[in-house]
Amino acid sequence: MAVKFPSEAWIKALEVRLNASESYAQAAATWEGDQIFVILPDDNYHDTTYFYINLMHGKASEGQQLKSPDQKKALFTSSAPFGTWRKVLEGRLDPLQAMFSNKIKLVGSMAAVQRTPKATYELTKVAASIDTDFGS
Amino acid sequence: MHGYLGRILRVDLSRGRLWDEALNEEYARRYVGGSGLAARYLYDVLDADTDPLGPENPLLFLTGPLVGTSMTSAGRYSVCARSPLTGIWGEANSGGFFGPELRYGGYDGVWITGAAIEPVWLSIVDGKAELHGARDLWGSDIYVTQDRLRDALGERKARVACIGLAGEHQVKLAGIANDHGRFAARVGLGAVMGSKNLKAIAVRGTGKVPLFAPDEFKTVTNQVLALFRGDTPSQSLREFGTPGYLNLAHMLGDLPIRYFQLGEHAQADSLSGVDMAEQFLRRNTACHKCVIACGRETRAPAHGDDKVDGPEYESLGALGSTLMIFDLQAVIHAHHLCNLYGLDVISMGVTLGLACELFERGLLASADTGGLEIRYGDSAMVFRLIELTARREGFGAVLAEGNAALAERAGVPELSATVNRLEVPMHDPRAYLGTAVTYALSPRGACHMEGDMYELDLGRDSGEDIGLVPGDRHENSVEKGRTAARLQAWRNLYNALTLCQFENPPTSLLVAALNAATGWDLAADDLVTTGKRIVNIKRLLNMKLGLTRANDRLPDLLLRPLKEGGAAGFVPDMPTLLAGAYAEFGWDPETGRPPADPTL
Repeated sequence: MAVKFPSEAWIKALEVRLNASESYAQAAATWEGDQIFVILPDDNYHDTTYFYINLMHGKASEGQQLKSPDQKKALFTSSAPFGTWRKVLEGRLDPLQAMFSNKIKLVGSMAAVQRTPKATYELTKVAASIDTDFGS
Repeated sequence: MHGYLGRILRVDLSRGRLWDEALNEEYARRYVGGSGLAARYLYDVLDADTDPLGPENPLLFLTGPLVGTSMTSAGRYSVCARSPLTGIWGEANSGGFFGPELRYGGYDGVWITGAAIEPVWLSIVDGKAELHGARDLWGSDIYVTQDRLRDALGERKARVACIGLAGEHQVKLAGIANDHGRFAARVGLGAVMGSKNLKAIAVRGTGKVPLFAPDEFKTVTNQVLALFRGDTPSQSLREFGTPGYLNLAHMLGDLPIRYFQLGEHAQADSLSGVDMAEQFLRRNTACHKCVIACGRETRAPAHGDDKVDGPEYESLGALGSTLMIFDLQAVIHAHHLCNLYGLDVISMGVTLGLACELFERGLLASADTGGLEIRYGDSAMVFRLIELTARREGFGAVLAEGNAALAERAGVPELSATVNRLEVPMHDPRAYLGTAVTYALSPRGACHMEGDMYELDLGRDSGEDIGLVPGDRHENSVEKGRTAARLQAWRNLYNALTLCQFENPPTSLLVAALNAATGWDLAADDLVTTGKRIVNIKRLLNMKLGLTRANDRLPDLLLRPLKEGGAAGFVPDMPTLLAGAYAEFGWDPETGRPPADPTL
């Protein structure tokens, strides 16, 4: 059954899938850093939603939807409108293209992202594998 | 005339004559400046009989109309001549402050012909130009030369463009240095300068660039500045410089490894620009009015280098992974040696890569190299060969002729990694198929500065209104060919404006800045048309010099699929891609000739 995006269930599903993915474990073996994903409002989505997930050495934990952006501090914050996230998750927008064209705004240490770009790709691939309901 | 100083300094070194010549306004309007304007000028002058290293080959230093203004990233200049390395159109571009200072000194450019009997250097101070003897400078490295000429002028703020030992020895891989280790590196124009016995040009000025609408110009340039302070690509370039791309390049299969024959390697990430920034970076350096500061000042204590320039991503590939050297300090040192002697790191690295491959295949032996064993991974040998090349000593005299000449000498031209005899840069066209068009059609041979498809298909550019939309990097299509051609035209415009390609303001702001500077009334589409006009004049000039449609090709080496990595299995479909590019440029599909232009 499709999981609604964005929702607590969706970020939990991502955590489960990341922990089951051998290719993510390999690609992110040296990755150390938690992330906040911000889903910003646009024409098709009218709220702002914050996801938190801790990513450490190829494993994920603490996946949750935050009640407010101040609830957690993270090494990285990636923000984009709902429609942009949807395009990435549907494979219609390359995540690195989105980042380098500022469609996804990244705040945090560029070092980790640039040293292990494969971790970002694999995370996106895993996220895209979730059967997702975007509400329309 | 707004946006221009309106004059070119003409120098006849054979006769020791210097005079001012009015800038051709009509040419400037149609070809803008930099390498575009130079190509238009040289179209009338060069022909198939012009000896690239003869006194008749003109050497032009030209700037663009925004250079030296408050426009960010407008600090570059072009050097142009017939290339001794390729035999065709030669252009090289560099950043720093030399271009702006030349304009403050009163000139849009310098046009040099002839050859001095004795080594000389040229000074330009506030509109006054003089030739000086340079016998005591001959043999000096680029850093010493720059320092001594600032002292000689008594102007610590003077900017110097000069050659090193390689240029003096007319090594065909020699570039022209300025502002410490910035280089107009490619196509061997340092050898042209050396052939003229011209060691350096030192410039200093206090003038200003006349602008048509200064207030409006300031408003636009402030808007441009604001765009680049905090965006992700600028942040990345600021933190890690161009080497920050290395890990990503490796993942995507864009990083050449073992002379373009491996798609990935377990040790390649040890050349990471992130590691370099964390372990060996001393500080960032910036060009004129740049908010990014991608330049690197590094150290390599293992080799006694405490404060050196670079390396760039291109150096990490050419002097590192191409040669199977995965030691950052060794690459920093090799890059520094190239700087000292005034060598193009790309051409040097790719020529050395072929030497390693020939040795590996038994096509070159120590009997051919004066006893040297040239093997992949041997950084000490690389250091030695760089010096021998710069001095044209021993086997260095062979390397000094470049990769294509070495492949021909060994009887294996199919192993050359060149397009039109210019060594392929560190972006593999199998990783971004549009790059195949860029390389095959680049007016100066394989060149990543004439259409950065790796930037576009990564999403970094902002030109949707002119048809530059990021796409699938592995797409083999007519439309991909058209996109690559449009980007080539756009970057040729940049090289005429002499703008840095790391900051890409929206077209509307760029055209607004250009109109406010010059008083022109251009629309965005006019910029694209101008870019194509510039590509076409270079193409027509190359055809005058003997280039034909058959030259529009990639080397065999890059048409073989890689077995591993992010580009595995992909090869460019050249007929399809080129068909798109020809259509975009309006070239004849049979002859590759641009349409006749009566207003040329």
